[in-house]
Amino acid sequence: MGFITDYIQLQKAKLAHERAFLHLLRWFSPLVWLDYLLRLIVRRFGLSYLTFIGISALRNQRRALLTIISVAVSCALLVTLLTLQRELTVPPESEAASLRIIARNKVSLAQPLPAKQLPIIEKIPGVVAVSPFTFFGGNFREETVTSFAQFAVDPVRFKDLIVEGHIAEGTYEAFIKDRTSCFVGADTMKRYGLKIGDKMRFTGTFYPVDLDLKIAAVFQGTVDDRGVFFHHKLLDELMGDPGTVGTWYLRVASAGVANDVIARVNKAFENSSAEVRAETERAFQMGFISMLGNVKLLIGSISAVVVFTLVLVTVSTMSMAIRERFRELAVLKALGFRRTELFSFILAESFGLAALGALVGIGGAWAFWTFMDLQKMTNGFLIYFEVTPRIMATGAVVAALLGIVSAIAPSLAVARTSVVEGLKTLD
Amino acid sequence: MAAPPPVSIVVVRDLSKIYRQGDINVTALNSVSLDIAPGEFVVLMGPSGSGKSTLLHIIAGIDQPTSGSAKVQGIDIARLNQSQLADWRNQNVGFVFQSFNLIPVLTAAENVELPLLLTNLSRKERRLQTQTALELVGLADRGHHRPDQLSGGQQQRAAIARALVTDPALIVADEPTGNLDAKSAADVLEILQSLTRTAGKTVVMVTHDPKSAAYGSRSLHLEKGELVNDAK
Ligand SMILES: Nc1ncnc2c1ncn2[C@@H]1O[C@H](COP(=O)(O)OP(=O)(O)OP(=O)(O)O)[C@@H](O)[C@H]1O
Ligand SMILES: [Mg+2]
Repeated sequence: MGFITDYIQLQKAKLAHERAFLHLLRWFSPLVWLDYLLRLIVRRFGLSYLTFIGISALRNQRRALLTIISVAVSCALLVTLLTLQRELTVPPESEAASLRIIARNKVSLAQPLPAKQLPIIEKIPGVVAVSPFTFFGGNFREETVTSFAQFAVDPVRFKDLIVEGHIAEGTYEAFIKDRTSCFVGADTMKRYGLKIGDKMRFTGTFYPVDLDLKIAAVFQGTVDDRGVFFHHKLLDELMGDPGTVGTWYLRVASAGVANDVIARVNKAFENSSAEVRAETERAFQMGFISMLGNVKLLIGSISAVVVFTLVLVTVSTMSMAIRERFRELAVLKALGFRRTELFSFILAESFGLAALGALVGIGGAWAFWTFMDLQKMTNGFLIYFEVTPRIMATGAVVAALLGIVSAIAPSLAVARTSVVEGLKTLD
Repeated sequence: MAAPPPVSIVVVRDLSKIYRQGDINVTALNSVSLDIAPGEFVVLMGPSGSGKSTLLHIIAGIDQPTSGSAKVQGIDIARLNQSQLADWRNQNVGFVFQSFNLIPVLTAAENVELPLLLTNLSRKERRLQTQTALELVGLADRGHHRPDQLSGGQQQRAAIARALVTDPALIVADEPTGNLDAKSAADVLEILQSLTRTAGKTVVMVTHDPKSAAYGSRSLHLEKGELVNDAK
């Protein structure tokens, strides 16, 4: 006998412990705090519509939490997708970008162009400046993948190409004078803790040579403050004067003549051994993006799916929440609450839950993308990933519409049910 | 000088309620007429399905008759539109249900205060009125308990407090003791009785139980939707 009573005692004690633990666990939910706060307010100030709606909405903590979390996750996803879309399809654009033209080998970007094309391009009307522009693509220090680009340029000619951007440290003259020096973006300087006079060593990847460069000047305030520019002469020397360049980088007099210049450049080398394809810097960037497929459409359709799922989830949870309370709503009707008042209760509840979810989701996404060092995380693939106010507003509008849409069906059901019918429904 | 005859608070004339179910008609009420004076404690009795609840619902303004009229305090409630009816219920009728129907997430006091949200009373007045109603049903010290922390009898008393907090002239109760033990039932019935005697409220109560019916000042018997006798 002793054994059985002992066993029962033990089980009871276990259960009590578990319950106490679960009770403690409850306090980790912010919704429990919110509920507690509402009750304190009611105790102090008496019941009001708002506190009544709040307490009502939080009655089923698990469902409320699930609704909020599903809205939050979907909002965060939506904001992220929209930001990604913006990042990929709207490249950093500046007025100067439409003045700059990149001329590359028609066959492919990887094919070099003969250096002797320079005097011909220079003579084309509308061209203000032109410099060789060769992508080196080396790895900095011990890195296996370096996220910022290095370009070999003609420093004197390149000076006329930088319309925007300014020298932050050192002088451009110092860069021109020293054949082994380089001109570095402020972001890269900061990221590696570099200062003027420091050496930068790059290991060639497709060029079989390494570079040893000394930082002569720093630029800041361009759309992309990461690049490293060095003397094309140095590359030519190291490579044994092959007489080629990667691409030509041109500046035209005005945006209006850009198309003429492009046509003339293309024509100038037609039927030569190295045919050229020229395009504006912006078109060049867009062309790069189109290699990623039709990103805009893809992301757009994923977003639509996210929103649609979100609608399904919240509409069904809201319907469930109200259906459970049909009898209670009938009692409220009997007590003298009008239909419009019950509608506003339902709307306020679904709107409130959606708003909480949106706040957590959009705020969370914003904080995450703003405070994460994305450039480092994605190896420079994503640079800005700016969650703009416009994108956040889009997320908020979607959530708000969601709150309204999910209130419609329950409101109609409540309107259609008479007090007597409502009272007959079982709890 | 003789006192003028009391004006009836409820006047029901030729009231019928017919439910259509496909091809067949179910007559829940068949040409019922009755008068109820202020301060009466009317008990509605009759077998299941005889139309007791239907009659109560129409008098209380939550159901509409098919024909005939129901006037309460001179107002033909079938003529009111939905929102007028809602306001009218809030000010003139208190409801007591068999299954208490308190809002589970609110405390007893909050449940009682609920109908007052629809009035223009200040917070202070609402609180005072709530407290008074709770005292009247003997729950003054239980106001902060939630329904699941109260016994059935206590829940029903809280429901009565909610019904009378707006100070309505008419209180309707559909089998209010149906879910209660004998002692709690007696408490509830005594409260309803004292409301008619000391506060001049009119109570209309549906019950199956003859013992409960004994608390009333008058019993009405319904059978197949018709009043069979109107014994004083
Ligand atoms: N919504 C409805 N549709 C069809 N018939 C109904 C409806 N509501 C009630 N009735 C019928 O009307 C009649 C009277 O119902 P009512 O609920 O008034 O009876 P009651 O006297 O309250 O019975 P009980 O003692 O069982 O509560 C019954 O025959 C019932 O079946
Ligand atoms: Mg009934």
